[in-house]
Amino acid sequence: MIWVETLINGALLGGLYGLLGIGLALVFGVMRVVNIAHGEFMVLSAFFAVLLAAMFPSVPPLLMLIPVIAVSFVVGWAYQAVIVNRVIKSPDPLAPLLLTFGVSVILRNVMVEIFGADVRSLQVGELSRASLEIAGLSIGIMPLLTLVLAALLFMVLQLILRRTEFGRIVRATADRADIVRLSGVKPDRIYNYVMGLSLALGAIGGVLLAVRSSFTPFSGAERLLIAFEVIVLGGLGSFWGALLGGIALGMAQLIGLKIDPNAGLLYAHLLFFCMLLIRPSGLVSSKA
Amino acid sequence: MPTRTILVLCAAVLVAAMAGAPFVLNEGFLRLATECLLLLTMAQMWNLLAGYAGLVSLGHQVFVAFGAYSLFMTAGWLELTPIWVLPVAPLVSAIVAAVIAVPLFRLREAYFSIAMWVFAEIIGALTMKSSFAGGTAGLPLATSKLIDFDWFEPIMFWLAAALTLGTIGALYRLMISSFGLGLMSVRDNDLAAMSVGVDVRHNRFVAFVLSAAGCGLAGALNFMGNLYIAPLAAFDVNWSVYMMFIVIIGGIGTLEGPILGVIIFFGLREIMTGPLGLSGGWYLVGLGVLAVVVMMLFPRGIWPVLRDRIGVRLLDVHRTPPCPAAAMALNELSGRTPG
Repeated sequence: MIWVETLINGALLGGLYGLLGIGLALVFGVMRVVNIAHGEFMVLSAFFAVLLAAMFPSVPPLLMLIPVIAVSFVVGWAYQAVIVNRVIKSPDPLAPLLLTFGVSVILRNVMVEIFGADVRSLQVGELSRASLEIAGLSIGIMPLLTLVLAALLFMVLQLILRRTEFGRIVRATADRADIVRLSGVKPDRIYNYVMGLSLALGAIGGVLLAVRSSFTPFSGAERLLIAFEVIVLGGLGSFWGALLGGIALGMAQLIGLKIDPNAGLLYAHLLFFCMLLIRPSGLVSSKA
Repeated sequence: MPTRTILVLCAAVLVAAMAGAPFVLNEGFLRLATECLLLLTMAQMWNLLAGYAGLVSLGHQVFVAFGAYSLFMTAGWLELTPIWVLPVAPLVSAIVAAVIAVPLFRLREAYFSIAMWVFAEIIGALTMKSSFAGGTAGLPLATSKLIDFDWFEPIMFWLAAALTLGTIGALYRLMISSFGLGLMSVRDNDLAAMSVGVDVRHNRFVAFVLSAAGCGLAGALNFMGNLYIAPLAAFDVNWSVYMMFIVIIGGIGTLEGPILGVIIFFGLREIMTGPLGLSGGWYLVGLGVLAVVVMMLFPRGIWPVLRDRIGVRLLDVHRTPPCPAAAMALNELSGRTPG
C-alpha cells in the first residue's frame, strides 16, 4: 500500500515537474533557444512570492501567484527584448546557450548576495497539511490541486496555440521566422511575448515548488535540469509528453527517496540518463 | 625574422621566466600564479571542445573531479609520492570521456551541454554516497607526509607551468595539423566538412577525450596543492563557469583568447575582492556581467577585436581561404557581360 501511495504522490509531483518543463519547451520550440536561466527565474519568482507573503500576511499566500505571474511576464518580455534577441540571430548556435548561462550565473549570485543562502519555503498554512483519505490512501490536497492546475494550464496553452490568432502567429514564427515577416509579423516581438509566457509558466511552477519543498538561491540548477529532463523524456514539442515525462521523473524521485532517504534527485537523473541510452527520441515522439 | 623563430624565442624566454619565478616571487604570489596557470589549462581544454569542436560542456567539472579523485585514491593505494601518480589522472579522465561519449554524442548542441551537466550531477551524488571515496567529508592526501614541503610550492608551480606551456604548444601544433584543420572545418560547417571526407564524429571524439584528459590533469594538480579533496569543491559547477567565462571574455576559438581571459579573470578578482572589499558572490556577478556584455558586443570575444585593431598575431592558426571557384567564375562572367 505504501508503494501505491508513493507512486500516486510521484505522479502528483510529476504534474508540477511537467509545468516546469513546459515553459522551457515553449521557448525552445519557438526560437530554438534553451534558456539556461529558466531555473534561476523560477527561484526568483519564489523569492518574490515569499517577500510578498511577508509584506501582506493577511492575504492567502496562493493569491500571491497573480502579481508574481504578472511581474514574471514583464521580466521575461524585457529579458528577451534587451538581452536574448540580440544574440538570437547570430549564426553561431552556441551564442544563446552561452549568453543565457551567463545570465543564470549573474542571477544566482545576486540572489545569494541579497537574500542569503538560507533554506526557505512558502508557507500556505493548513492547506499544505490537509489530505484526502481514499480507499486507505492518504493523498495531499495541495499536490492534487497542483496536478489539476498543471493539467488545466496545459489545456489552456494548447487551446491558445491551436485556436487563437496569437497561437497561429507563434506557430508560424516557430516554423519560418523569415517568412512570417512577409505577413507583417515581427518575430522579435513574438519572441518577447513567448519568453514572457514562458517565465510566467515558470513562475507558477517555481512558486508551487516553493510551497511543496524548500529552496535556496542555488536551487535554480536543479529546477533547470528537471525542466530539461522533462522535455527530453516527453519528446520535443509534445505538451502531453511533457506531462508524462514529468510524472515518470516524479515517480522515480519519490521511489528513490523511499529506498534511500538522502538521494535527492539522483534517481530522477538516473532515469533520464537510462532513457537517453534506450530511447533518445523520448517517450512520446510526436511532432505536435 | 620568420614567425617560427619568434615563437621559439618567445617560448625560450617564457620557459626561463617560469623556471626562475619561484626564486623571485613570494609564496602567496606563487600560489596565485599556480592557480592562474591551472585555470588557463582548463580554459584551453574547454576552448578546444567549444571553440574548435563546437561542443559546449556544462559538466566539465566531472573530469576535474575524476582526475583529482583518481590521484588521491591511487596515491593512497600505492603509497607513492603523489607526483609519481599524476599520469593516472589524465588517463582516468580520458577513459571516462571515451565511455561517456557513446551516449552523449547522440545529442547535439544544448542537449549535449545539459546532458553533460546531468552526468556530472549523477557522478557527484554517487561520490558523496560512496564510502571508499570519502563520502561527503572528502579525502585527505594519504601520502602527503612523503612530500618535501620546502620545495612543494615551487614544484607545484613548475608542474603547472610545464602543463600550461605544454598544452598551449601542443594545441598550436594540433591546430596547424590536418586534424586541426578538420576540426575547424567541422565547427564552421559540418555538412561541408563531411562532404570532403572529414570524419566529424571521430574528430569530435578525439577533441572530447583530449579535453577531458587535460582537465583531469589540471584538476589533479589543483587538489594536490590543497592536499585535500571534498566532493562539493570537486564537482562544483563553477569550474565550468570559470572555464566558460575565461574563454568567452578572451575569445572563443583562438589560442590567445583564454590567455587574455585568464588575465582579466584574475585581475578582476584581485581588484574586486581586494581593494574594493567585495564578496566572492559579487565578483561572480561582475564577471558574469562582463561576459554577457562581451557576448552582446563582441560575440567572438575581446582578443579578435584587439588583434584586428593593433594588427598583432601571436599564435595564429588562421588561414585565408583561396578565392572560391564559383566567385571567380562569377567575376569572369560579370566582366564579360556588357553593362
